[in-house]
Order: sequence, then C-alpha cells, then structure tokens
Amino acid sequence: MVVLAASILSKSGKVLVSRQFVEMTRIRIEGLLAAFPKLLGTGKQHTYFETENVRYVYQPIEALYLVLVTNKQSNILEDLETLRLLSKLVPEYSVSLDEEGIGKTAFELIFAFDEVICLGHKENVTVAQVKQYCEMESHEEKLHKLVLQSKINETKDVMKRKASEIEKSKIDKNRGDKGGFMSMGSGRIETSLSEISIPSSGSGFGSGSGFGGLINEVDSFPTKSKGRQPSSATAPPKGSGMQLGKSQKTNQFLESLKAEGELIVEDAKPKAGQAKAATALLTDPITLTAEEKLNVTLKRDGGMSNFDVQGTLSLQILNQEDGLIQVQIETGGNPGILFKTHPNMNKELFSNENILGLKDPNRPFPTGPAGDAAGVGLLKWRMQSADESMVPLSINCWPSVSGNETYVSIEYEASAMFDLQNVVISIPLPALREAPSIRQIDGEWRFDSRNSILEWSIVLIDNSNRSGSMEFVVPPADSSVFFPISVRFTATSTYSDLKVVNIIPLRGGAPPKFSQRTNLVTENYQVM
Amino acid sequence: MEKSCTLLIHFDKGTPAIANEIKEALEGNDVPAKIDAMKKAIMLLLNGETLPQLFITIVRYVLPSEDHTVQKLLLLYLEIIEKTDTKGRVLPEMILICQNLRNNLQHPNEYIRGVTLRFLCRLNETEIIEPLIPSVLQNLEDRHPFIRRNAILAVMSIYKLPQGEQLLVDAPEMIEKVLLSEQDASAKRNAFLMLFTCAQDRAVSYLLTHVDRVSEWGELLQMVVLELIRKVCRTNRAEKGKYIKIIISLLNAPSTAVIYECAGTLVSLSSAPTAIRAAANTYCQLLLSQSDNNVKLIVLDRLNELKSSHRDIMVDLIMDVLRALSSPNLDIRRKTLDIVLELITPLNINEVVLMLKKEVMKTQSGELEKNGEYRQMLIQAIHSCAIKFPEVASTVVHLLMDFLGDSNVASAIDVVVFVREIIETNPKLRVSIITRLLDTFYQIRAARVCSCALWIIGEYCLSLSEVESGIATIKQCLGELPFYSVSEEGEATDASKKTPQANSITVSSRRPAVLADGTYATQSAASETAFSAPTVVQGSLVSGNIRSLLLTGDFFLGAVVACTLTKLVLRLQEVQPSKVEVNKATTQALLIFVSMLQLGQSPVLPHPIDNDSNDRIVLCIRLLCDTGDGIRKIWLQSCRQSFVKMLSEKQLRETEELKAKAQVSHAQPDDLIDFYHLKSRKGMSQLELEDEVQDDLKRATGEFVNDNDDANKLNRILQLTGFSDPVYAEAYVSVHHYDIVLDITVINRTKETLQNLCLELATMGDLKLVERPQNYTLAPESSKQIKANIKVSSTETGVIFGNIVYETSNVLERTVVVLNDIHIDIMDYISPAVCTDAAFRTMWAEFEWENKVAVNTVIQDEKEFLNHIIKSTNMKCLTPVSALDDECGFLAANLYAKSVFGEDALVNLSVEKQADGKLSGYIRIRSKTQGIALSLGDKITLKQKGGG
Repeated sequence: MVVLAASILSKSGKVLVSRQFVEMTRIRIEGLLAAFPKLLGTGKQHTYFETENVRYVYQPIEALYLVLVTNKQSNILEDLETLRLLSKLVPEYSVSLDEEGIGKTAFELIFAFDEVICLGHKENVTVAQVKQYCEMESHEEKLHKLVLQSKINETKDVMKRKASEIEKSKIDKNRGDKGGFMSMGSGRIETSLSEISIPSSGSGFGSGSGFGGLINEVDSFPTKSKGRQPSSATAPPKGSGMQLGKSQKTNQFLESLKAEGELIVEDAKPKAGQAKAATALLTDPITLTAEEKLNVTLKRDGGMSNFDVQGTLSLQILNQEDGLIQVQIETGGNPGILFKTHPNMNKELFSNENILGLKDPNRPFPTGPAGDAAGVGLLKWRMQSADESMVPLSINCWPSVSGNETYVSIEYEASAMFDLQNVVISIPLPALREAPSIRQIDGEWRFDSRNSILEWSIVLIDNSNRSGSMEFVVPPADSSVFFPISVRFTATSTYSDLKVVNIIPLRGGAPPKFSQRTNLVTENYQVM
Repeated sequence: MEKSCTLLIHFDKGTPAIANEIKEALEGNDVPAKIDAMKKAIMLLLNGETLPQLFITIVRYVLPSEDHTVQKLLLLYLEIIEKTDTKGRVLPEMILICQNLRNNLQHPNEYIRGVTLRFLCRLNETEIIEPLIPSVLQNLEDRHPFIRRNAILAVMSIYKLPQGEQLLVDAPEMIEKVLLSEQDASAKRNAFLMLFTCAQDRAVSYLLTHVDRVSEWGELLQMVVLELIRKVCRTNRAEKGKYIKIIISLLNAPSTAVIYECAGTLVSLSSAPTAIRAAANTYCQLLLSQSDNNVKLIVLDRLNELKSSHRDIMVDLIMDVLRALSSPNLDIRRKTLDIVLELITPLNINEVVLMLKKEVMKTQSGELEKNGEYRQMLIQAIHSCAIKFPEVASTVVHLLMDFLGDSNVASAIDVVVFVREIIETNPKLRVSIITRLLDTFYQIRAARVCSCALWIIGEYCLSLSEVESGIATIKQCLGELPFYSVSEEGEATDASKKTPQANSITVSSRRPAVLADGTYATQSAASETAFSAPTVVQGSLVSGNIRSLLLTGDFFLGAVVACTLTKLVLRLQEVQPSKVEVNKATTQALLIFVSMLQLGQSPVLPHPIDNDSNDRIVLCIRLLCDTGDGIRKIWLQSCRQSFVKMLSEKQLRETEELKAKAQVSHAQPDDLIDFYHLKSRKGMSQLELEDEVQDDLKRATGEFVNDNDDANKLNRILQLTGFSDPVYAEAYVSVHHYDIVLDITVINRTKETLQNLCLELATMGDLKLVERPQNYTLAPESSKQIKANIKVSSTETGVIFGNIVYETSNVLERTVVVLNDIHIDIMDYISPAVCTDAAFRTMWAEFEWENKVAVNTVIQDEKEFLNHIIKSTNMKCLTPVSALDDECGFLAANLYAKSVFGEDALVNLSVEKQADGKLSGYIRIRSKTQGIALSLGDKITLKQKGGG
C-alpha cells in the first residue's frame, strides 16, 4: 500500500516533475522513470504494467503522462483513486498541459502532491481541500496579525502616554516635587500584587486543612465516573456489531473454517489491557482502603522543615445490594491526628461509637464497578508534626571534593516504626556522559543519563537493614548539585493505625465479607 | 549509504542561473523575485551543484520572510541540501535553521505548521530534530485535523530514527491517547499507523478492544488494520484465530479497496478451503463489479495466483471467472481464458465449452472491430479443451467449421489446424468432418487455409463416395477450364454459361456416393441444396475460390491442388472397381494440371509460375501417368504417418513441459510435512511466501541487494592505469538493471599529496553519467574509493573512458592520467526468452534493423556451432530440438532474447556444411533498434570463430 513516487513525464519520456514518498536513491528513481516509456506499450486498453519489482499506474493527460510508481503489493483500487485525484489536480495548477506549463508550475504541483500522499499513504482529501491547503489562507494567522497589530498599537499608546508622563514628570521635577516618583512606583507594585495573588490563593486552598482535601475528593467523583463510561460502554457487547445483519452467514463461515482446522478465537480481548485491569480487580464485594500520603521536606544538614501526613479511608462496594452497611473502625489513638468525615456521614455516630454510616440510614453507599480502585471517601485525616522522630527515613548526603573527583557518600537510616518497601532514592548529578563509578552500595543503582539522576533502590528496609550507605565518585562538582534528593517508598502500616473492625449490615444478616488495604505512600519526600 | 532523492524537476540547462544573481534576488525585498530565486536555487541543487555559499544568504534573508510560498520553498531547499559532512556529522551551521523550524511549528498559520511537520518526516538528523520535539508534541493537540495528522506522522518518523526511542520515550503512549480521542479519519489512520510501526502490541490491543467497531471505521484505517493483521500473523502464527473474524467483517465493507485488501489478507493468512473460497468469491465479485480494466486485470492476476496454489477450490468458481469474458477488452479476455483453461475438469468441461460456444456465436452477430481476434482466441481455447477432453470435439467441431471462410485469416487458420488435428485423433468424427469440409470448402477465402483444407481432403477422403465428391468439389472450385482464353470476354461468358452445367455434373457424380451409405443420404442432400444454391449465385460473380486465387498468381496453391488431386486419384484407383471411372478421373486431373501449367506460362499473369510449383505439378503429371507401388505408398501412407509423428511429438513435448512443471512444485527436502490425521497445518502455510512479500517494498525502492559471492566480484575488476603511473586506479563494475556502478579505487603512488584529484569520466553509446565528478585530495600513498553511477537507457554496447586529473603542490599545472576504456557488454542486458513461432515471424517481418553476419568458424559440426552461438549470445533457441536432430548437412534455427528494457532481439542462423567439411551460411540479427542489431552482431562476429 505504498506509493513510491508520483511523476509527470512528457510523451517523449522526459521526466518533468517527480516527487518521491519513500527514501530511494536518485539513480533508482531515474532508472525507474527512464524505463517507463520503454515499457509503455501501444494500443492497450489498460493503464498499468508491472516489472519485476514495481508497478506503474499511469494516465495520459494531453501531451503528458501522470505516473504513479508503486510496489507490486499495492492496492490497485486505492492507487487508481489516488491517480484520479492527482489527474484532477494537475490541470488545476498547470494552465497549459505541456512540458513548458508543467515546468513553470513544477513546485506548485509538488506541493499539491504532498497534500495527497503522505509517506506513501493516500490521504483522504478532495481537490477543493488540496487547493485550500495549498493556498494557506489562515483565519488564525489573520487574527494573530490583528492581535499583534493591536498590541503594537496599544504599546504605542502606552509609549506615548509614558512619554507624556515622563515629559510631565520632567516638568514636575523641574518644579522640584517628589510626588511624581511616588505615583509611578506605586503603580508598579499594584500590578505585581495582582499577579502574585492568583497562585498564592491556589496554594492556600491546597494546603488548607482536611476540609480542602475533602472538597477535592468530592469533586473528583464525577470526573472519574466520566472517565469510566467509555470503557464500560465498550466492554459488555461481545462483537454485537458483527453479529448484527449478516451474523448467521458469518457464523456459518466461521463454523466451516473451524471445521477445516482453522483456529478461531471467538472473543478476542486485548492481552495488555486485561493484565492491567487484573491488578486492580477487586474480588471481594466490599473493599476498604486506608491510604496515607506523606509530604516531608528534610534539610540537608539535619532537621525537618515540613512533615505532613494526609490520610483517606475509602469504601468500594461492588454490588448494589451490599450498599446498606455501616463500618466500624478502630484508630490507633494517635492524638496528633484529626479525623474529618464526609459531609454525608453521621458525625455523631462516628464520634461516639467510631462507626461510619450515612446520615440517612435508608440510603445505600454508592457502588462502583471493579477496576477502579478509588471508591468513595468516607474519612479523611491529617497529621502535622515537628517531631523528628516521626520521620520514617532520614538521608545523610556528604559530597566531598578530593583532587579531580567528588566523592559522595550517602547513608539512610530508617525508623523502626515502618518496614519500607520499594525504596528509591534519586540523587541529581551534574551532567555526565557516563554513569558515575559506584564504590560501594547497599541495594541496587541505576543511572538515568537523560535526566542525569542516580537512582538508588532498596527493595525492602526492615529490621535487618535499618541503615545502609552508598558511595560514588563523579567529576568535581558543587555540593549543591546533589540536592534536592527525592525519595519514594511505600509501607503497609500507617501513622493513624486505622483498622476496620467490622462491617455492620443495616438490614440484618451475617456481616458481608470485606477486604481491607492499608498503605502509606510518599507524595513528596525530599531532602533540600 | 547513498543519499536519497525526494524530488526531481526537469531543468533546462539552456538557461543557466548564476549563483550571484540568485543571491542578489534572495537578498532583495521583492517577494516574487525571491520565490523565483529560491526555485532556481533548488533546481541547481537538484542538478548536482552544491552552492555552499548560498546557505548563509538564505539563512539571513530567506528565513525571516513572511511569505508562505517562500517558507514552503525553503523547506524544500532544506530537504535537499547536504546536512552532514563526509563523516556523517551534522554540519554546525544547521543549528541556524532550528530556530526557524521551531517558529514555524508555532506559527499562527496552521498550514505552515502542517508543512513544517511534514518536512520533519523527511528529516533524519537527530541533532536538528531534538530541540524541536516539544513544539512537535504541542501540535499533537492542535485544533486542526490537518495539523494533528502531520504531527502524528512527524512523531512516527522521529521515533523511527536510530535514536528516536530516546528522543521520544513515551511516544507510543502519547499516540495511543491521541488515537483514543481522535475523530478525524486521516489522523486516526496515521496514529494507528504509528502504533503499528513503533509499538505493535499497543496497536493490537487497541484493535482488539475496538473489535466490534472495525467495520464502522474509515476506509484508510481499515486498510492499515489489515496490514497490521498480516504483519502480526506473520510473526506470531498462533494469534491468527483472533483476527479472522475481523477480516470477515471487513469483507462486507463499503469500500472496494478494503474488500480487495481483505481478500488478499485472507489468502495470506489461511489456506482453509472456506477462506480461499471467500477470497476467490470476493475477487470474482470485484471482477464483475469494477469497470476499470486495470482492476480487472490485476484481480485476474490474483485469481491466477490462487489458481496455482489452490486449484481444487478455483475449479468450482470456473463459471464465475468465465463471466469476465463480458468485458470487451481483449487482454482481460485472454487472461480469463488462460485461467479457465487450466481449471477445466471432466466435470465442468461441458459447461465451459457451452459458454465458449455461446461466445463464439456472439462474435458472429456483433460487428465489433476486435471480434476477429477474440474469435481466434476462443477457437484456440476450444482447441485446447478438445485436446484435453477429446469427447467435446464432436460438439464444437461443426460449429467451428463455419468459420473456415472467416475473413480473419488467423482464426480461419486456427480452425483448419484444429480440424486437422481432430480428424486424426478422433477417427470417429472423420466421416462427418469430411462431409462438412467438402460442403463448406467453397467458402474458404484464404490461400493458406485452402491449402491446409486441401491436404485434409487429400488425406482423409477414404471411401469411394468421399473420394469422388472430393474430386468433384475441387474441380468445381477450379471452375471451367481452361483458366484463361485469348479473348477475356469469351472466357467470362463461357464461364457463366458453363457453370450450371458443371454444377449438375457434380450433383450427378455425388449420387452414387449417397446411395453407397444410406445414413448419409439426408446429410448429403441437405448439403447439396446448400451447396448448389450459392454456386449458382457465385457462378455469375466468381467461378470458384481456388480459381480466383490461382488467377492472382498463387501457384503454390496450384501445386497443393495438384498433389491433392493426385492423392485422390491414386486412392480412387484403390477403391473404385470401375476402371473407366478411374481413367476418366485421371484424365480430368491431368487436364487440370496441364491447364495450370499453361496458365503459369501465359502472359496474363504478372509473374510466371515459380520453378518449385512447376516441378511439383510436373511430378504429379508423371505420377498419374505411371504409378509404381513405392511411390503410391509414399503418397498414400507416409504423409499421414509423418503427420501422426508430428502430433505425437507435440504431445510429448507438452507432457514433458507438464512434467517439468510438476517437478518444480514438489516439496523441498526441508519442507514441513503435513500429517493430515494430526492437527492440519492448513493456514499455517504461505508464511515463507509472505516473507517475500515483505521484501517487496524494499525491492521496489532498490534497497534490496542480494550479495553475490566475492569471488565472482574479483573476476570483474578492471585495471584502469598502469602500475608505474603516479596514480593507480582499478574499477569494479557492477551492472544493475538500469544502472552501472563503478567502484573505483584510486591509490596515490607518489610521496606527494595530490590535490584536486578528479576522476573525469565520459561515455559513448546510450550511457549517461549521473553525478558530476568531485575533487579529492589524496595524501601520499593513501587510497580512496570513488563511486560513479552511470545510467543505461537502452541495450547497446557502451564504452566508458576517462582520465584522472590532479595537481601537486610544487607543480601548478594539472597532470592527466588517461584511463583504460571500460566496455559494457550487451550480454549483461539480454536474457533468454520465449515467444511463439507466429510472434517471432511477425516481429521478424516488422523489425527494421537487420545485421547479417557471414558464418566464419572453425567448428565443423552444425549443432555444435549452434550451441556455441547460443552460449555466447545468451539467447534461447526456439526451434525444437527434434527439428534439429538429424544429420542432413544443413541447419536453420531461430534464437530469441529480450533485454531488460523490453526490447526484442531476434537471430536466425542458417548454416550448411560445405563439401570440404567447413560450415558456411549467415546469421541474421533483427531488432527494432539499431543498437541491439549492431552490438549483437559485433558480439557474434567476435565469438563465432570458436574452437579456442
């Protein structure tokens, strides 16, 4: 399905214009086109011929030949359509259909050919579209120019104003007054303030207590369900599009193919997609997920500038009938943690009995399909601390320059509170061509040359390796290059130590099965 | 790696543009002048000028231009300039264009963005592309489908570059996202194509998730889907099952292109009968529904391929294929018939022949210009049917005999040859054919047909009645004797008066024949009325067809008539008990002979009778006067025997060819073995074939080079200069189809640096140098490889000659070393080919150039000489071996070859052994162009000596 070249030749075989769409050498294309008039027989009623390697499809236009050179596997029906389109285009651009005329408009023709065939593949275009593309009349550009013009005008106005102001101030200065200066300065401050105010307000919301987080979570519900829709819409009908109409015939066809030993898979499903879904697939009817996100900023010479834990408890119910439940939880009793329930929750029930239930007991919890791990948020909590002992993992990085090299030794120390999994410590390095030489390491390392980052990874930190170190050598560099070091890890226990004790079905009966997940992840864990 | 060429524009060298003018125009502010200058610059570049000084001018003055056309031309310019140095590093100044490209990618005009993105598709230098990547990615989310389309393609080609995966790590993911949200058909196709080429598994998973929508997708996308399926199944055979369903759903697509592609895919994936049948059905539908001849022909090609691989299935579809005969195009009809003829089986033969018969009848009624040719084709088809299945001959032979009098001589000849073969191979039909032939004989118009028909009459009239009516028919067709009288008027009136009489005589002479065998009575009567009626009419117009032919001076026919009559009379002597009747017939025959001779010597005709015919007629006269048993045997039996021998020879040759064909299709030693009773391997096959398909594109672009063994290479090294020359050069010549590549090694043998060393080549003949020579500097005792491409445009012996020019540092003048000539041999361009005898003759008659070479050789044996010529000219001997077998002191053979440019080369060799044992004779070469005739002649003159 590839057009190698589109060319226009004169009757005598002279190549007037030729545009190649795949890479080929000049000698090759010239050879192919030189062979064309020789192979062109007379008195035939068809307009193609094949050689050992290529197929020529052509159309005579007055004193010219419009030729497409394609490979032999190419789809003739498509090629003919392309040829037809090109043959309509040629007279559009070339007034006189002879050697001279084509020579004059050679470049225009090449531009037009480019619009019709792209990398050897046919584009879905009409003559009018090609003309439009080639004319390049752009509304956007006009607008852009207008905007530009107006900006210039505006700036000119400003300039004039400023000039007059300066004039004025000069006059004022001459009068010996300082007021003019003041007014100009204050104007500047105003504008800068208004610029700053936007980001500052945004960040204020984000870092604002649990309430702000809750709002975010609530907001995210509709967007997620939207995202789900297409997948759910496509998944259930099994090849119904095919079964419609000619289904019977198709089935017969398939049956007979099968009978002949052809292997037919009736419902072909993507492999990769399935694999992905499987990890998140929930088998239990009710799942509760407690997740804590850790935002920690440590100072490079010890000390902590920020420590913030945000947790959520989310509930996911697969079946509608399991929706009428309440959840009894147990917290670790950490006094530093403030819990906040979802606005729809019965607050009293929670504060008195540690039971999470909806305000309206007749309403079920919303259900969500499998494959979406988010679920419904029930509870949020937050913890801030200045206590350094709370830090799960501290990093100590010592770059030291010695002669032509910088030795960097890094060590980590993990608190006994958690067992950390999949720890990755990313150390930025100066731009290096080769990987740094690692002198000693506990764990594994990887060098990402594009971002110039050294990643030190330890699969599991538990009691056997609460501390570890690494040493590597790089060409001399400033010690600040190696910061900020960022750390990623996960853990299966949390600060809040929140546990779901029981699920109470409101309609009586045995408590349904549920599964519980707890994890701690790092959101932003840095050593500055 | 040679540079690729993206565009060609014809450039008239008559109007040289000077670099300075271009530069001035580019520097100016006049936009049209700038456009013009840019165009000129591009054309100069395309013609091998390098114009290095122009680059900076363009960067300074053209890059900032706001005009769209200028920008587009600029992109073309950037496309064709050399962007790397000799070592493949990107030139430092190229960084200058990056900024401009980036601006273009962010240009408010969407079309500028689009064409720039398209330009990036053709760019190979990562160093230039790298800074542009963010801008490219921005365009992926553009509002205009036009931009998105090109942006996706740009991403694809960047990703495909050697380091592309590092430049755009997450490109497949990105494109997958784009694909999910994309609405524009073209952009969707491009995105899918990108995944297909760069991340096949993603494409597959996308396809499978949307499996039920495939039939709703756009035509372009469906095509790529099919391509993907083919590719996936090629690498992973087990996956095939998943896709068959998709293909089936696409078989009902609205677009014919997709349907065509589907059928092809189905064939390549599976060889299960149902799949093949579906594909074949699809092709047949296309064959009928498409009006375009090209499509029909190519579809027929596909069917032909199917035929050779799955004959059993195609047999069922034979009638569907036959329907393509409704097209008026002869090529299509011929191809259809070719396919059909190989599919006939005892089961369908009757149906096929019936259809062919109908078609033959149609040609009678319609007055289309090509009818004659078509009829000929049909007759040949029926002929070969009848040979394969002799039982059908009886149903068609009579119909065909109506065409003996066809005005199209070729088809009439075919008919008569057919009849001749049938009458020998099908003895049951003999009687009816002879009766019929005698009845229709008067209609025959052409001399060649006539002589062949006469031969049949002479050989196959066996019974008394047949012999008698045979003689009568001939006599009647000769008309009244003598053939001419002194007064023209008298003859005309005589003839008109006497024909009715002659007619009545024949009728009377026929009567006993009818009575002899009662079963023929009705037939004979019917033919009699049919016979007598036209003769009466004809009598007044022309008196007999043979007569009129004789009167035009065709005495060869006269000789044939004489022989036939002799044969008939000889036979009459055997079957006729009444001596009187025999004598009467003999005298009548003698009278005819004599009057023919008389006519031959008369002044009425422009040419007198030729000696051959004269001798032959005289021989016949002698024979009838004095018959011996030996001669009788020769005339009555040996002729027939040699004909039988010829037929069996022909049959033998055909079966041998079949055998040879069958041999080819046998399995290779390392082929997989099908265990039918285990899981059938059906559908897994053809993968080897598919691999070839994959190479198709590579071969088409000329990328595909099959390496010959190096030893062979060494044979073709030519030394160009002497060992003691300051510069030693040798060349390795490799001849491809349309070009010659010279790999020249140049070695500096001196202790000085050679500057401006230039290899100047010139050519003689139909050769053209592609590139302009470049200058090199050669360090002391170092060497350099130089490549020169030469284009060949016709088959002709060519000579390449040239010299090496250089300067040394201390001597300012240039030194020239003349090179040895390189001769390009015609043998590299012609290859043995086959054509039919008839085609050879027509070409022989048509071609203008003849080169006649007298035989001059030391070889004593004719056959050895022929073999020597065949070997040294690389041609194919068309004359069958059996015809060359015997020792008779002379030999004539036709040789044929075709050049890669499709030119024909014909050679006829006629040699005779002289008394002294030497061979003498001529070799004639004919061709359409002078080049072949001359070159081949030279070649033969050079080689024919032999012996050495």
